Amino acid sequence: MSLAEIWLFLQQGVLSGMVTGSVYALLAIAVVIIFKTTDVPNFAQGEIFMLGSYVALFLTLVLGWPYLAVIPVTLALVAAVSGLFQRIVMERVLASRGVGVQLVIATLGLAYALKGLVRQTGLGDTPRSLPPLAPTDAVVIGDAVLTRLDLVIFAVAVGAMLLLWLMFGHTRVGKAMRAVGMNPKAARLAGVNLARIRALVWSLSGLISAVAALLITPKILITPDIGHIAILAYAAAIVGGISSLPGAVAGGFVIGVAENLVGLFISTNAIVVAPFVAIMVVLLLRPQGLLGGRLQVKKV
Amino acid sequence: MTKPIDRILLAFLAAGLAALPFVGTGYVIYVANLLLVFVVLALGLHVVIGETGQFALSHAAFYGVGIYTAGLINNAWHPPFFLSIAAGGLLAAALGYVIGALSLRMRDIYLALSTFAFGEAMQWVFLNWQSVTNGSNGYRLSPASLFGYELVSDIRAYPFVALIAALLLWATVALSRSQFGSALRAVRESEVAAQAMGIDVNAVKRAAFTLSAAYAGIAGGMYTTFASFIHPESLGFQTTILILTMVVVGGIGSVRGAVAGALIFGLISELLRQALSFQEIIYGVILMGFMMFAPKGLFADRARAKRPAAGPAAAPARRQRRIA
Repeated sequence: MSLAEIWLFLQQGVLSGMVTGSVYALLAIAVVIIFKTTDVPNFAQGEIFMLGSYVALFLTLVLGWPYLAVIPVTLALVAAVSGLFQRIVMERVLASRGVGVQLVIATLGLAYALKGLVRQTGLGDTPRSLPPLAPTDAVVIGDAVLTRLDLVIFAVAVGAMLLLWLMFGHTRVGKAMRAVGMNPKAARLAGVNLARIRALVWSLSGLISAVAALLITPKILITPDIGHIAILAYAAAIVGGISSLPGAVAGGFVIGVAENLVGLFISTNAIVVAPFVAIMVVLLLRPQGLLGGRLQVKKV
Repeated sequence: MTKPIDRILLAFLAAGLAALPFVGTGYVIYVANLLLVFVVLALGLHVVIGETGQFALSHAAFYGVGIYTAGLINNAWHPPFFLSIAAGGLLAAALGYVIGALSLRMRDIYLALSTFAFGEAMQWVFLNWQSVTNGSNGYRLSPASLFGYELVSDIRAYPFVALIAALLLWATVALSRSQFGSALRAVRESEVAAQAMGIDVNAVKRAAFTLSAAYAGIAGGMYTTFASFIHPESLGFQTTILILTMVVVGGIGSVRGAVAGALIFGLISELLRQALSFQEIIYGVILMGFMMFAPKGLFADRARAKRPAAGPAAAPARRQRRIA
């Protein structure tokens, strides 16, 4: 491999990686906000994302709606499903004195149920893709080639992150969510309705997942097993320290770029295992993640 | 097992197992063998999650190691089958020891995620180590044998599978009653308190991981005595979750819960094998339903306090309630 080739691969890998990484970052944020406020690692993250893809596919391909109608309906529907799951199922698990394990298993139940429901519709029998949101003509940056769609994906993802940042920093509900994440008891004493905030956080997480789904579904082929992509979101969240939002964003980009570079320089076969290796190495060497705080040992 | 319910359950189980070869046909015996393998897998996960409270999600990986080790040895040398099963158990145990030692630094979510990642990585190895596992084409297992007696059919393997499962069930009960079992539960309830009592927490955790992996490895070996084919597809996260479901729905921390869960869910998964979407929906609904209305499972052990990976707030409240 000549130097010029390496330079070209590097540019292409980093730029393509930033695009997919921005979507992973969104999914990682969706994982992290739930983990921070409810202490639950959401194992249904991938399936909620998949639900977003299939709702959009159903509306576009079966009902023939235009994007202008598909986007708001998809976002609203996925957010509603996610929020209702917390409100109906998770609150009930909490009420019957369920703790960590039980909550996680309830999310696994949701994952199974969603996957089965989507499979039942038959829409997932063949891999499908949405029509492109934006024209797919090539854009040359340096020596690398992206498509206009890639740029739209990146811009929308980063825009969504900025909106989230504004929301968490400057709105009442955003501050309430952060407060619940820091200390639920104190938040309740300060007048925050915990159940409401938890449902809102799940809705918000569903909304973000749906955004990610709408962005990436025109670019890749979707099957009911696409939920596997959430593993990359988990890898991103862990690399960034699982309770840090800036960490999740950084982690998303790191995983996206690393994935593309591994694909270009080593082999596409190694892409599949790379995130697991990343998860294990990071957890072993720096369990709190690259941007996480100090580890705390809970006493009796 | 002093409670009457245990004696009754055990008697039913033993009678059913003994009667089965005389009434069951080939497929029924195959399912029985499979359920016994699931029982051993569930008991193994029970040791690490139920007794020790370590949320490990790599059980299918150890199961796979057991299957491939026993299968490869059997295909190559045709030793008496218990030797290849033992080899599978030992290798899985060794791997379990390493993972246990590496996992000492982690707890709760971090432990779950790193063991999950390890499980997925192992499935990748099974899929891609072409020269050994034959990769995604699956691996053909030739019949196991015992001093010339070939286990060519499910019914021939059945007595041995049942015997091994019974031995391991006995071992699990003995373990949970022993002092070592108390040490495991002490670590589950509170590492700090266990340490204060003079328990070597790290050694106990390593031992739990090793034992749990050994169970899974032996289960893999049992599988090779009656099955003729293994595909890496069935050694992934799905299988780990299936076993986790058995343990949790059965009742975390309860041996009879693990056994009952293995029988029920093993049966459901085998019966619904053809209808994937229904299987998934039913699973999902059962999981959510149980967690909503009976989070402690079918056989919650009410005599002892159960507190698997509890949040900091839950513990004191429950303790007070029990005293009052």
